[in-house]
Amino acid sequence: MKRLLAPALLLVLAALAVYPTVGTGYGVRSVQQVFMWIALAGSWNLISGLTGYVSFGHVAFFGAGAYAGAILVASAGWPWPLAALAGGAAAVGLAVVIGYPCLRLKGPYFAIAMLGLNEVLRALVSYFEGLTGGGNGLSLPTLDASVPIYYVMGGLAVVVTGVSWLIVTSRFGLRLMTIREDELAAEAMGIDTFHHKLAALLLSAAGPGVAGALTARDQGYIEPISVFPLAITVTMIVMALFGGKGTVFGPVLGAIVLFVAQEIVWARYPYVHPLLFGAIIIAVVLLMPRGVLGLLQQRYRLPRTI
Amino acid sequence: MNVVVTPAMLAQVIVSGILAGGLYAMVALGLGLIFGVMRVINIAHGPLLMLGAYTTYFLTTRAGINPFLTVPVAMAALFLVGVLLQRGLVFRVVDAPELSSLLLTFGISIALVNLAQLAFTSDLRAVEYITGAWVIGGLAVSKPRMIAFLFAAGVTAVSFVLLQRTRLGKAIRATSQSREVAMVCGVDVARIHMLTFGFASALAAAGGALLAVIVAIQPEMGGVWTFKSFLVIVLGGAGNYPGALLGGLLLGLVEQIASLFLTSQLSEVVAYVLLVLVLLVRPTGLLGGRQT
Repeated sequence: MKRLLAPALLLVLAALAVYPTVGTGYGVRSVQQVFMWIALAGSWNLISGLTGYVSFGHVAFFGAGAYAGAILVASAGWPWPLAALAGGAAAVGLAVVIGYPCLRLKGPYFAIAMLGLNEVLRALVSYFEGLTGGGNGLSLPTLDASVPIYYVMGGLAVVVTGVSWLIVTSRFGLRLMTIREDELAAEAMGIDTFHHKLAALLLSAAGPGVAGALTARDQGYIEPISVFPLAITVTMIVMALFGGKGTVFGPVLGAIVLFVAQEIVWARYPYVHPLLFGAIIIAVVLLMPRGVLGLLQQRYRLPRTI
Repeated sequence: MNVVVTPAMLAQVIVSGILAGGLYAMVALGLGLIFGVMRVINIAHGPLLMLGAYTTYFLTTRAGINPFLTVPVAMAALFLVGVLLQRGLVFRVVDAPELSSLLLTFGISIALVNLAQLAFTSDLRAVEYITGAWVIGGLAVSKPRMIAFLFAAGVTAVSFVLLQRTRLGKAIRATSQSREVAMVCGVDVARIHMLTFGFASALAAAGGALLAVIVAIQPEMGGVWTFKSFLVIVLGGAGNYPGALLGGLLLGLVEQIASLFLTSQLSEVVAYVLLVLVLLVRPTGLLGGRQT
């Protein structure tokens, strides 16, 4: 089982790499969306799945990256790959500002601070109208880069998942999980919990920042409603929870399964979408807290580091 | 921005701040009780407030009942909803790690908002009852806000008498100080948890019912109230119930005073900056830690 895993993964990656040459426009776009959700759910998992500090506002990092990237492309004329990296940097900067006051403390402070962050960013975007276009949004110069963006988004998904794997299999990851299980005990063992939590948050902010900047470039137009919706946070939380929080491939699994389900089944019932996601969150928390992958790990004795 | 602030303007915003603060204090007391007793932050607190507002809206517009008379009805209805939520879902995560209770109540919150969207649509609704203002000594006091403040002050006062004087209140405070010791003393902790959740939901509902005559009603109106209630608790000190009063008034005052200097877009940011500042400077709250 273990020996098959690596070749199988490589095969999938190779297939995805050649897919844009054979796939339809819709297909390529959908796969790119899956890449994005893998990156987002995997990033959320780094802070919330590993340390247990729930982020209810991860879309803030996505939106900050989107605006940073879009402004650099539209006003400063940066090439989009560079702007995407800058989007990641902007999200990390925001994470420092939020993480520093909120993660020094134990308890729900961080979760609530993230809950309000979205509104704040939305207000700031409309206040700095000259830079962001306010409620009118920001248009980027037209450019057809959908295939390169597909590859970069795919690369981002691979990097986020790879980083998750490196963390979960490292001593750093063990320390993060110790914080999740018992923060006092972690402190007693000499773990600098504040800096570990902060590091996890910074790592988890970078991916959404890059994804936001890429999405902004891909869509060519952003506005506050499109890059700061609560729905993006909810979706990444649901995906990570469903697949299995605190695992490496849980968010990947959750992103693929729920995205496909969303496209095939739920697209017909957009009005009950949040209700469904709320119900999934409730059900997963109560019935299978370790998600689908957690169940599989238990039943088939899979390694705990996937 | 150069704004000349006259004493009259300052007096005016202080009055508005106190009026707003009374509502904050009442709603936040509910969130604080659940947190104190169960160590659960109820993300669905704001959506429960929203349900309270809709209760008042429908009773007033469909049945023609005076909106202020619907406050007890909304409280009773949401007390039941709260008890059901606690009995059905929340009690399972009381002893679980914080992550579980946060996520669970977050799920409930999303579901409630979406249910409200399906049932009531996202249209903005308003209860038109009293408008205008009383002018007292050169100060304009908004009529609906003043009445809402008086109601909130009354409900909060009754809540404190309940907490301080009755056996039930003592049991609630005991559970919040130490669940084990309360259990040893014969307190039925599971029942206290259930009643506290119901009572807290009723306080949120009272807030919603009173807001119904002040602001527009829509399914997403509650979200900001979860956040602000939490801020009030942090200001007053978690687990310190009288602290919620101070925290509520303080938030109301700060927001109103800031509105003198800031554009309306930025006034939403004030509460947030306040939270970050308090967490940096005095995370145990202004009155200090847990004294129930």
